[in-house]
Amino acid sequence: MSQPIIISVNHLTKFYGKIPGVQDLNFSVSQGEIFGFLGPNGAGKTTTIRMLLDLLRPSSGQILVFGKEIHDHSLEIRKRSGYLPGNFSAYGNMTGADFLGFAASMRKMSSGLQAGLIDRFHLSKKDLAHRIKHLSHGTLQKLGIIQAFFHQPDLLILDEPTIGLDPLMQEEFYRLLFELQDKGKTIFFSSHNLAEVEKICHRIAIIRDGKLVALETLESLKKKKIRRLKFTLKEPVDQLKLPGARLVRQKDLYYEYLVEGAIKPLLQKLSSLPIDDLTIAEPDLEEVFMTYYRQEIQV
Amino acid sequence: MTYINFIWKFHRSFWIFSTVVISAFQFLILKLITTIDYSGMMSLLLEQLPKNVQAMIGEDFISLHTMEGAAALGLNHPLVLVILSIGAIMIPARHIAGEAETGTLELVLSFPVARIRLLLKLWISAVLFLFFIILFAVSSSVSAIHLFHRLTGALFVKMITIGCNLWLLFVFVMSFALLFSSFGKEGNKVGIRVAGITLIFYLFHYLSSLWDTLAFTKPFNFFTYYQPEDLMTGHRSFLLHFTVLFSLILICLLASLVQFNRRDIPG
Repeated sequence: MSQPIIISVNHLTKFYGKIPGVQDLNFSVSQGEIFGFLGPNGAGKTTTIRMLLDLLRPSSGQILVFGKEIHDHSLEIRKRSGYLPGNFSAYGNMTGADFLGFAASMRKMSSGLQAGLIDRFHLSKKDLAHRIKHLSHGTLQKLGIIQAFFHQPDLLILDEPTIGLDPLMQEEFYRLLFELQDKGKTIFFSSHNLAEVEKICHRIAIIRDGKLVALETLESLKKKKIRRLKFTLKEPVDQLKLPGARLVRQKDLYYEYLVEGAIKPLLQKLSSLPIDDLTIAEPDLEEVFMTYYRQEIQV
Repeated sequence: MTYINFIWKFHRSFWIFSTVVISAFQFLILKLITTIDYSGMMSLLLEQLPKNVQAMIGEDFISLHTMEGAAALGLNHPLVLVILSIGAIMIPARHIAGEAETGTLELVLSFPVARIRLLLKLWISAVLFLFFIILFAVSSSVSAIHLFHRLTGALFVKMITIGCNLWLLFVFVMSFALLFSSFGKEGNKVGIRVAGITLIFYLFHYLSSLWDTLAFTKPFNFFTYYQPEDLMTGHRSFLLHFTVLFSLILICLLASLVQFNRRDIPG
């Protein structure tokens, strides 16, 4: 049985004056899914997230969260959601404890609910007693995570959530996400860190210049017939051109290509070359991602 | 910590400073006029000066030498007006435009709180902030009058009326700053612009009392609706001041609510 749709975005467009922020986005996120939203800086990730929270108003299109129109049911939706903004910032003059108390008060919930997460992310009493402006970026990010997670929201919207966390805390954070997923919570995970998206997300949307360029499961994205071809020649060859392949690196007789589409014509061409060593590797997500950002690849 | 508590904690240092300075100033000004009796001498001296110069020195200076005049002037002194203006402009500029700039407004609005409710809480916090400063200032004046002069029932009512008028004036300045802030993206810019506009209105208010050419601006200047000396002498009606300032406050507040509710965050 298919899971209910938690986020449904239809023909979403946002213009800042005449400048497009995002254009004609269409995607949906199901319950219990960890949905990766990938793109470089300025691609429109944060604009989309802010519209999901009714902070920005769309120029056109529709957003349904929990089956309800975001603007008309904003309060109800925000009550069931947790949000960690990118570059999380809080009131510098507050102590960590005051800030968490403030977050609990704004949600009309007990700050006692935060105790488990405080322990889990190793925040000491001393950390919580310091003013936020004196905290390290990592400690501040932990406060951001706690304020977003403590009320056990049905939907978590996370914008670059692991920035500033050390590797151990990142692992703890991923474990927390999987636990929530097991409980049927939905996670919208925006990032430009391909490795972590590959590690935790089921489906991925890739956004470029405000437009969705891919929306697929991790597996199908990887099966896009994109391969990394590495070989070393025994002797130099004049004007080496391989069909369906794009040179990404070359040093002396060593060549590295990204290959798209049918591989047969390529193999025929390769068989005519004086090859010393050859590897055709499965692509990692980064290679797939870069394929969508072809113009940015520097040969 | 509730939002109103948070606003109070955020600004309490400035509140304490303002309350102490303004209250002490009211007390001292009323204490001083009891120690020196030079009103007759000063009046004679001023009469010798050309009329324009007398106007520049102002009725304020002459009225300083009566107890009622000093009480009224104390609550209309530039020092008091500047401190109250800073408080009135700082709160909305810092918490709407300023927080839109730093990103904390985005975080606050991700909590389940309606924008209108948040703005009203901020407005109420600022209204109370100004109320308690002015309450202490008026209490200080009344105490000084009681200690060093004679406090009558009529004088007490006049002092309360002046205090209410001053409060309304600065609630208007604050509401005006709130309106600007609900459009703005940068706290400092909003603060400087509102302070600049307030200063221009004050200069026009001052110049229009010197030059008849500018007298036509008086009905359009909100400082016209705060004249403590006239309220003290009964030359003006508080009802008019109240009606005008209350209407302006309402317009600014409603416009702020509409704009804040429809704007993009951060903008």
